[in-house]
Amino acid sequence: MAFHSMVFLYGFLPAVILCYFLLPARWRTGRNCILLIFSLGFYAWGGIWALPVLLASCAVNCLAGLGCAPGRPWGRAVYWCGVGVNIAALAYYKYTGFFLENLQALGMEVTIPSIVLPAGISFFTFQAVAYLTDVRRGTIPPERNPGKLTLFMVFFPQLLQGPILRYGAFAPALDDRRENSSAAAQGATRFCFGLAKKVLLADALGTIADAAFSSGDRLTVALAWLGAIAYSLQLYFDFSGYTDMAIGLGRIFGLPIPENFCYPYAAVSVTDFWRRWHQTLSFWFRDYVYIPLGGNRCSRRRQVVNLAAVWLLTGLWHGAAWTFVLWGGYYALLLMGEKFLWGRGLARLPMPVRRLYAVLAAVVGWVIFRSADLAQAGAMLQGMFGFAPGGLWSGEAAYYLLQFRWELLVAIPACLPVKVWLEEQLRRGAEQGRRLQAVVLALGPKVLVFGLLGWSSVRLLSSTFRSFLYFQF
Amino acid sequence: MERICNRIFLGILLAVVLAVPAGVALWGRHQTTAYYENRALAQLPEVTAQALLDGSFGTEAESWYADHIPGRTTLLMLDTFVQMDVLRRPVVNDTVVGGDVLVPFLSFKEWTAADYAANAGPISQDYGHLSDYVEENGGTLYFVGIPEQRIYFEDTFPDYLNNHATEAEAADSIFFAALKEQGVSCIDMGAIYDAQGHPDTYYSAVDHHYNYYGAYAAYRAILETLEEDGWDLPVLTEEDLTFEELPNPYIGSRNRKLYNLWPNEDKAIIATQKDPVAFTRTDEGEPSDKPLFILPAAEDLPTTYNLYMGGDFGETVLETHRPELPDVLIVGDSFTNALETLLYASFDETRILDLRHYTQCSLKDYIGQYQPDIVLCVQNDTFYYTTTGNGAVWTD
Repeated sequence: MAFHSMVFLYGFLPAVILCYFLLPARWRTGRNCILLIFSLGFYAWGGIWALPVLLASCAVNCLAGLGCAPGRPWGRAVYWCGVGVNIAALAYYKYTGFFLENLQALGMEVTIPSIVLPAGISFFTFQAVAYLTDVRRGTIPPERNPGKLTLFMVFFPQLLQGPILRYGAFAPALDDRRENSSAAAQGATRFCFGLAKKVLLADALGTIADAAFSSGDRLTVALAWLGAIAYSLQLYFDFSGYTDMAIGLGRIFGLPIPENFCYPYAAVSVTDFWRRWHQTLSFWFRDYVYIPLGGNRCSRRRQVVNLAAVWLLTGLWHGAAWTFVLWGGYYALLLMGEKFLWGRGLARLPMPVRRLYAVLAAVVGWVIFRSADLAQAGAMLQGMFGFAPGGLWSGEAAYYLLQFRWELLVAIPACLPVKVWLEEQLRRGAEQGRRLQAVVLALGPKVLVFGLLGWSSVRLLSSTFRSFLYFQF
Repeated sequence: MERICNRIFLGILLAVVLAVPAGVALWGRHQTTAYYENRALAQLPEVTAQALLDGSFGTEAESWYADHIPGRTTLLMLDTFVQMDVLRRPVVNDTVVGGDVLVPFLSFKEWTAADYAANAGPISQDYGHLSDYVEENGGTLYFVGIPEQRIYFEDTFPDYLNNHATEAEAADSIFFAALKEQGVSCIDMGAIYDAQGHPDTYYSAVDHHYNYYGAYAAYRAILETLEEDGWDLPVLTEEDLTFEELPNPYIGSRNRKLYNLWPNEDKAIIATQKDPVAFTRTDEGEPSDKPLFILPAAEDLPTTYNLYMGGDFGETVLETHRPELPDVLIVGDSFTNALETLLYASFDETRILDLRHYTQCSLKDYIGQYQPDIVLCVQNDTFYYTTTGNGAVWTD
């Protein structure tokens, strides 16, 4: 079930909220049970076939967590077995087809089975590995209550697309949290803003991106840039919109879901970009791959190997295709370059130049990321840099600019910290006793919520359904 | 204060999200069709183990729920208004709204002449087989090609959109050349309209069909061709007819997609015969008392292209009981509807088949059974290359 479906917005969501808040707050276990039942229903809505995979993962990790704690006999072996089972499941569902396709391309006669990826497996597997590792390291105690661990794994706001949770940060709230109207109002507001980001901006911009990436011989320089920029914005508003909805829902139920984005297109370097984009994934790779491999505290050669390994895995995590491997390699090179070659020089450049460099690097990266294959990536990049089969400009580019001018006009400032600046101005005005600014600050977002929810709902009714982009990863 | 404000906010929001399912339960679930979208609403799926297992229940239930939201049509109409009149998008609901007429938004991708040439061969062979078969049964086949409104008004597309003019020209010329190679007699109304000065008055600004003036020009062109081929048929001349613009608002298929919000003065046109040719009618094998034009009960009620013959039927038969005249079989989609109101007057028996809806037998068997003197295959040019529906003219 998608957050931006009518069934979720006007069926599932009011049902879970009513059931949850009709139980007295002191019945903490009951409220957790409500969330668990609805989360499993949420997952099963897309097909019950995938539910056993999710529940098996929960069961295995619950047992492995109990067995791998420091001091337990065979703890290390249990830990590696647990991690192995998680990775094996992910590898089977996600990479079998890719692996066999490549064997086939090498001339081997293999049959490629049709394996359907259980939704969210990349996310819940990473959460499980993080849990086992934290238990093994002694950072957190193993969870003895399987219900709580299952809720951590399947909590519906983050089940399909993250953010990737850590049990140490999530678990305390399972026993001790206080839902209140202020947090719920903030959460509802954030949810509706996230919905609008997805429905009103990302989906419209996706139309431009789809057209540009499938234009073939009609591709012009203008269309290539328009498509690349539109996709960069689409991906941001799609994924950050989902994250806003997840965080908002978490707040309504009093459960903490970490931030995942911090205005990545305002970054001043590629290194900075990855501190701001999909933060929970970056932190996961840092804490569970990069640092265990030696991180920065090793020779330069080893650091290069570590970075390459992390980015190869990051690329592959996003999808089983050579474009993702290339995309990971692209970032590995850029990050190594900033670390060892041009990072200091870059820091001395004027801020606008640094920002332009970072955003251009990201846009080029997203072109590789979005392309169906290496040939399409090559054609798009060639087009962007002047070698487009259709020339410089076309009516198609003009049409998409004209048709989606409002979305582009809103999306560009909205992906920069304009909102933060605006809030700051209003807050300052309110502190200086300006009543209008105080009213706008207090009521503006709440009034906007109704408009955005209504408009998003109408757009959902009138447009073809588009799933979230990160849903496929 | 903040707490109260938050509680009021949450209360209203919860009321809104609860109002929708309540509305679906009370009102929305009873609706079955979406008039402006010209489709049936999704049906509530059955709960089966397989549907739950593979997730199809969820997908279908979402479609059903979204289709039955109370006030859905009003909301979509409001959205169309905002897109068209507030945001001023050049294309709304796949319709180009910027010009003097409504045309559809077309993909930027085009077929090449080579693509058309590859398809024209087998399709024209089917018409060739059909033509031979009609002749074996004592008749003559004519293919009547009529431009669709978007082709007729191809110059009205904004420069930055693709009107597919070059593609359409190539497609038409390749198709007619292939038909002629097969010995099929052709009437290319695109060329005839051009020879008449390509009058704007022949086509609707808000519908994908021609209007009655365009249909009348096609009728005259068909009868002139038949006359040249030696048929002596009565003709409804302009003196025999009284053309009349109906006062009712006219909802064309293009404006219908815009919830009839695009301002226009387009009206439906009919022509009544001063000395009407009497007929009896059967639709789908059943006697029918439907007249040639189905007029709304009041002047303020809207009308559509369906006013001609009452819309599409699988089979309609009009008998004028004048055995001295030949019989005609007209095969085609809704473009034939306006033509039928004129053509029947020139024949004894007029049989009309719409192969999208007629399933009782193949066209070949139908011709073998009724042996019409003249067979008119009427196609609009966007369907020349289709091999289904009215393009499925031959089965061995």
